[in-house]
Amino acid sequence: MQPDDIKSNILTTTLESAVNWGRKHSLWPMPFGTACCGIEFMAVLAARTDIARFGAEAIRFSPRQSDLLIVAGRISIKMMPVLIRIYEQMPEPKWVIAMGACASTGGVFDTYSVIQGVDKFIPVDVYVPGCPPRPEGVVESLIKLQKLVETEKFSDYSTTRGK
Amino acid sequence: MLLPKIITKVHDKFPSATLDTTQFAGEDIIHIQGSYNLDVLKLFRDNGFNFLADITAIDNLTLGGFERFAVVYHLLSHETAERVTIKAYVPEDQPELPSAESLWKTADWQEREIYDLFGISFKGHPNLIRIMNPDDFQGHPLRKDYPRLGRKERDDFPVVKRGINKEAAQ
Repeated sequence: MQPDDIKSNILTTTLESAVNWGRKHSLWPMPFGTACCGIEFMAVLAARTDIARFGAEAIRFSPRQSDLLIVAGRISIKMMPVLIRIYEQMPEPKWVIAMGACASTGGVFDTYSVIQGVDKFIPVDVYVPGCPPRPEGVVESLIKLQKLVETEKFSDYSTTRGK
Repeated sequence: MLLPKIITKVHDKFPSATLDTTQFAGEDIIHIQGSYNLDVLKLFRDNGFNFLADITAIDNLTLGGFERFAVVYHLLSHETAERVTIKAYVPEDQPELPSAESLWKTADWQEREIYDLFGISFKGHPNLIRIMNPDDFQGHPLRKDYPRLGRKERDDFPVVKRGINKEAAQ
């Protein structure tokens, strides 16, 4: 190998940014579709908006194989324990998108049985407004989340769990 | 026309069962005492009203009525396409009715729904448990005296945290 080849074939970076680069371009979503947002989410996967362009096309219906939880739809008091269990089953690092008005705030369903925003009980990174949101809105949230993933630091993952 | 004949039969056989007979929007409503519901329903079923279209319930707390609750049976005759509504009144202090599950299997889940949301129990039902609310739910939310926003059950979950320390990151 010639010295010139080495120059053009080696890239110096930090491990952190290399890992974050990999993570942000291979988010594997787990859709938790309970209502019309779940139907709208199917359009996000389809040809027109196609989130495969952002590396997020590998939809996993198993929490253990995914790192992005997309809560799409209203969550009832009967469903919330299920959602918490699924969130806890996802391995770190993991992120959550609350898609639509119901997942973010409860929407128009201000009743005894509907959770008024899943962020009351599980951490949410990006909220998508709309009822249901346009597919472009979900793509926008994915791009926002990628920016978030890019800036995460290894040192923030710690030992603080449960404290 | 099946209906006039059957209504006379009800009057003859169970004179104390009927509280009132009214009409609304061209359909007959028969108001009966709750304890007679199985007898009256059986009479209707055996005389042509073979199909139980729906069971629902009403809380008369603010409406007024013969009793606090009314369990409403919607029957249909496949023969003559006639419809009839039967309202069985249930008192507040003893909200219990005989189950119609022995007459129509479809009453099974309908009665469970009424039990779940109104707290009216059905004697003789094979599996009277909640159908929509969680099993450990307290109260019956479609009763008019149940608060619309509930009794804090929607706020009663553990808060789960992620491994990342967001406060330290900022």
